[in-house]
Amino acid sequence: MAHCGPKTKRRGQSKQLSGGDLHKTILLMGLPNVGKSAIFSRFTGLDVMVSNYSGTTVEFYEGPMEIDGESYLLKDVPGIYNLEDPNDDAERVARQMLEDGPEAIVFVLDALNFESSLHLLMQVLEHDIPTVVALNRTDLMKSRGLRIDASLLQQRLNVSVIPTVALRGNSLDVVKYAMAQTVKQEARHTVPSKDKDRWRVVEELREEVVKTTPQKNGADRFSFLAKPFPGIPIALLVLAVMFGFVIGFGMGLRQYLLLPFFDNLVFPYIRGGVEALTDSQMLRAILIGDDYGFLIKGIEWPFALVLPYVVSFYAMMSVLEDTGYLPRIAVLLDGVFKKIGLNGSSAIPLLLGYGCGIPAIMSTRALPSKKQRLSVAVMVCFAVPCVSQTGAFIALLAERSIFAFLFIFFVSVFAMILVGILMDKFNKQRVPFTLMELPPLLVPAPKLLSKKILFRIRHYLREGAVPMVVAIFFAAVLFELGFFPALGRAMAPVVSGWLMLPEAASTPLVLGVFRRELAVLPLLDLDLTTVQFFTGALVALFYVPCIAMIATLAKEFNVKTAVFVFIGTTATALFVGGLFARGYDLFVTLFG
Amino acid sequence: MKPIDTYPRTQSYDIECIHSLSRGEEGIILEVPDMSLLASLGLRLGKRVRLISKSFAGGPVVLSVDDRSIAVDRELAEQITIRK
Repeated sequence: MAHCGPKTKRRGQSKQLSGGDLHKTILLMGLPNVGKSAIFSRFTGLDVMVSNYSGTTVEFYEGPMEIDGESYLLKDVPGIYNLEDPNDDAERVARQMLEDGPEAIVFVLDALNFESSLHLLMQVLEHDIPTVVALNRTDLMKSRGLRIDASLLQQRLNVSVIPTVALRGNSLDVVKYAMAQTVKQEARHTVPSKDKDRWRVVEELREEVVKTTPQKNGADRFSFLAKPFPGIPIALLVLAVMFGFVIGFGMGLRQYLLLPFFDNLVFPYIRGGVEALTDSQMLRAILIGDDYGFLIKGIEWPFALVLPYVVSFYAMMSVLEDTGYLPRIAVLLDGVFKKIGLNGSSAIPLLLGYGCGIPAIMSTRALPSKKQRLSVAVMVCFAVPCVSQTGAFIALLAERSIFAFLFIFFVSVFAMILVGILMDKFNKQRVPFTLMELPPLLVPAPKLLSKKILFRIRHYLREGAVPMVVAIFFAAVLFELGFFPALGRAMAPVVSGWLMLPEAASTPLVLGVFRRELAVLPLLDLDLTTVQFFTGALVALFYVPCIAMIATLAKEFNVKTAVFVFIGTTATALFVGGLFARGYDLFVTLFG
Repeated sequence: MKPIDTYPRTQSYDIECIHSLSRGEEGIILEVPDMSLLASLGLRLGKRVRLISKSFAGGPVVLSVDDRSIAVDRELAEQITIRK
């Protein structure tokens, strides 16, 4: 999930497309979860970006698309159910896009949500823009004993209706061909819903067009997943398997592929090269030193220690998203979340937070109230370690004591709940009604899945790894200039006195402000006891999330929130870390 | 729409709140709050709904309408009346 704003830099063949003067736009519209993004993905290349509609928090994807040799900008309009709610941001954006004068619309008419789709289509057709209809998920429709007469629908509405299976790319060429015809023409469709009750028109049209009624209730086949039993045990199992896979696969990738690769094939050459090029002790220390040697740690930390977990986390998360399972978790947890003034859908940003806090904060936009957004964002900032930091925790703790590592996650969940309760205490509000559709479960399409995972990994490399390398470079220079030892002495009362860690442990506290995992990784090279490692990990867990997350908070909420989180997290981290160190010390003195 | 409490809860009226359905049971919607999202999700007058899962720990009920699964807040579901 990308969280970058509109990018002006584009690569590849999209040279005609630049910044603001994109003249020809095609809108891709439809209900949520009906295969819109699958169509979008197949119509555009990798040169896709996320944009904000100006003045709103509503995000949408856009990307260049070619039809008959002409370039268009395809916009994936946020999935909506209606066009007329003045209070719904997504609907307002969709309306605005329609009024901005697009060349054409590709409307994804969901065969499974036929009536609601048709109801939205009526509203869209009323705007008199040339439209092509992709009747999607016709494969699932058949398996449920439904038959939709596409040509009759085409006659009634006077628009091209093309049966498709977007997930597998079936008939999308035909859609493209129809678009080529449609963009050249004026809109000439009929709008049967003008001056009539739309739902009545829709229901009548459905009677006419849908040939057979379902014999077997397809939605019920997996309904047990949304029931408390066996839904909850299954959800726990799924999360445990996911957790296990992320850790196991990540560790394997690191241990057996990346570390040997860098240690045996890359680093010896770098060391040899630097030693051959310079005799300066100082330069050598900055570039290949044992502490923050830029060319060593600047490669090892982002690419060998953290990248494997980024890959395994996003692989797993993308699978979970694409199967449509996540809303079921949200429904199961809804009652529990209500007790702290949240909806079950808050589970999704929280889960994403275990990947990276920034997309997690951005995804709170989908939550129904401002209060919920703030609560969940603060929960993520205080208590949810990102995947980079988890990777660092594994390197730090899992190899010493798997118990200590699991305990950190127990603390994380406990703290998350506590923060949620506190946020609710200070800002009591009515919880909005939960009302959502549980999309049918699907087997993800490998091609779309891999594109999504690649998109996210690329995002980590740009927005995560690059800043980490820069931070390590500055750390290397500052370290050699003797800055850190001086800092260590200055912070000694806190670090040694209160947290009972060596002075050198002040360095990760400084670096941790910039990157979350850098609050952990430097501890690896210190000679600490397991208890001290655990203290360090606790401090890092609650510590300032990272400067990029603080900036995101300021942008998404306000500076006050960002400052509150900055100070709050630092204070909590030092307090909890010290409490643990002192408590353990006391325990040992009394009973040891 | 009249609050459901004004209907006497006797057999002869045959009008019930959606919570009175047991799992797997079906009913036809008689009254539903006027919300565009409810309508779009298929919860409209005269629609046949089936209860998939009851509210758990204050969570939503899950209904099946037109072959779709919809999670509806417990309180909202209380305002939907049905005929079995």
